[in-house]
Amino acid sequence: MSTTAATPTSPRSTRRRRKRIDWAKWILALYFVLFLAFLYMPMILMGVLSFQGPFGGLTWPFRGPVTLNWWKSLFDSSVPGSQAENIGIAGRNSLWISLAAGAIVALLAFTLSMAFRRNFRGSSVAFYVIMLALMTPGFLLALGTQLFWSFLDVPTSIWRTALGANVIWGIPFGFLIMLAVWNRYDNAIEEAARDLGANKRRTFREVTLPLVWTGIFGAFLFGATLTWNDYDRSILFQVNSTDTLPLTIGGLTFTGAIRPDLYALGTATTLATVSVVVLFLLITTIVLKFRGASSAPVRRVEEEFGEELGGPMRIEAADTDER
Amino acid sequence: MSNSSSPDPPTSGSERALGARPTGRQKGRRGGGVMTVVWGIPGYLWLGFFLVAPLVFIVLVSFWTYEQGAQSGFREDWTLQNYIDLFGDDTYWNNMLTSFMTSLIAVAACLVFGFPVAYFLALKVQNLRNQIALFILALAPFWTSFLTRSIAWTYPLMGREGGVNQILRKLGVDEPVEALGFSTLSVRLAMIQLYILFMVTPLFFALSQVDRSAIEAARDLGGSWLSTFREVILPQAMPGVVIGSIFIFVLTMGEYGTVRVIGGNTVSSVGTIVQSKVEIGIQYPQGSASAVLLVAALVLGVFVITRFSNLREEL
Repeated sequence: MSTTAATPTSPRSTRRRRKRIDWAKWILALYFVLFLAFLYMPMILMGVLSFQGPFGGLTWPFRGPVTLNWWKSLFDSSVPGSQAENIGIAGRNSLWISLAAGAIVALLAFTLSMAFRRNFRGSSVAFYVIMLALMTPGFLLALGTQLFWSFLDVPTSIWRTALGANVIWGIPFGFLIMLAVWNRYDNAIEEAARDLGANKRRTFREVTLPLVWTGIFGAFLFGATLTWNDYDRSILFQVNSTDTLPLTIGGLTFTGAIRPDLYALGTATTLATVSVVVLFLLITTIVLKFRGASSAPVRRVEEEFGEELGGPMRIEAADTDER
Repeated sequence: MSNSSSPDPPTSGSERALGARPTGRQKGRRGGGVMTVVWGIPGYLWLGFFLVAPLVFIVLVSFWTYEQGAQSGFREDWTLQNYIDLFGDDTYWNNMLTSFMTSLIAVAACLVFGFPVAYFLALKVQNLRNQIALFILALAPFWTSFLTRSIAWTYPLMGREGGVNQILRKLGVDEPVEALGFSTLSVRLAMIQLYILFMVTPLFFALSQVDRSAIEAARDLGGSWLSTFREVILPQAMPGVVIGSIFIFVLTMGEYGTVRVIGGNTVSSVGTIVQSKVEIGIQYPQGSASAVLLVAALVLGVFVITRFSNLREEL
């Protein structure tokens, strides 16, 4: 430290310092691996136990032989004791309601973020209302919704009320994603489109939307996955045990009718959720890469001449703005 | 008029001239604008109907009278009886206290165990692609069902014959440790496992803002590891700490489903108490009163946490 610090500007000295083994880094890396093990261990153990033989139980030891019996009973109602029928109905219900919630979250998160692109009076209060949606415990929200609806004398149901409560849970996540998108967004592009003669609607459709759709899709994804997994917000509105998949799982758990097929179901839904997320990330990366490649020449010009071009032009823009 | 109704006036000039990155959010410009209202309407209608109205109704019903046999379960006669009953209810306060302790422990433990993870990801992983990949790997469980994760925690891992007890037996512990399953201890450990990502994520984003060369500079100027941490890293990390703490405090205090699974029927939280009042006794007014007190505790907790950092300035 003392000798290399003597010439801090020389690139050689920094390079030499980099080469020293960074012990802290490797200790932290080891810790990170342990952390991942802590996070994933229950799911992995559950996944392993779902491959037990027909006499398999809920806990260890693993009762072999290794079979797909419990996985099969998820889809095949001819397996004795299979919950396949209920799971099928609940799964379809869950899927539709998740897609609906995702679509509503995407729409509302987008429109709300559009309102927040400009500072308005009371914007901080309005912001806190959205954050309130994040802070309200799910069970309390469900209770309040039930009270409100019983006062209005309208019967509650999964589609009417749980959907509303789940969208509330998704909105702040989608909204924050959209804020992050707008923070990276360059208004000059819209201005350019307007200057080139596109009207407001066309600018919005052909310039704004294509640039922010990944954020909108991210909001959709949050809304859908949160709803797909929700229990606290739906339980009070349950009419049938097959209303949504988590309600079915909860019902089986609390009535003690829990068998390794529940483990298979849990593993399956987890894998489904994770693969959707991974797929989304892959698509976004590919799209961004594609877009990055197509605009590479522009960026190169900007990088090379940005200083000269940017300076005067920016001041000019400032002048027109002031008028 | 033409200016105020235009959805996107150019970014304020001074910001650009200073070389600030042009962004889609415009700060420092006032003006209502018809478009702002139009964009805001659908979202706030939904928020009003499904968030604000239900919360208002919890407060209202907590002051109304319980009526047996009424379809809604309450009569619109004002009373303080629900609160008076609650204040004399020792079980409620014990549960509130246990729940509060669980949340405090969860916040502290998530901070202690989550900080090195965020620090490693944000400051020790050099390559951006690796950084994102590892972060996603750590974040993936967030997208899976908490109910499923609780089941996985309770039976295969913690219970009498669970993985931990199996290992302990191999290590020579004869009796299975009962305290690991269906207990307050198990619930508290599970809370760390379930919610630590809510601390790691904001910490990661906060620490990513730290200028690595500032750390090197601090070290080169002779600062010890501790003083570098305190003077350079901690101030940047503070907003993340605060946001993460709020998340975990609020979410764990309001927990319901996971406590029911992991605690069996032996552990209750404020959530399960409210539920038992509502579901078994259809005691909506008293359930609402306990919910209101829970919210009061949450607001108090969040208020205390935000004293540690000026969030609105940092955001």
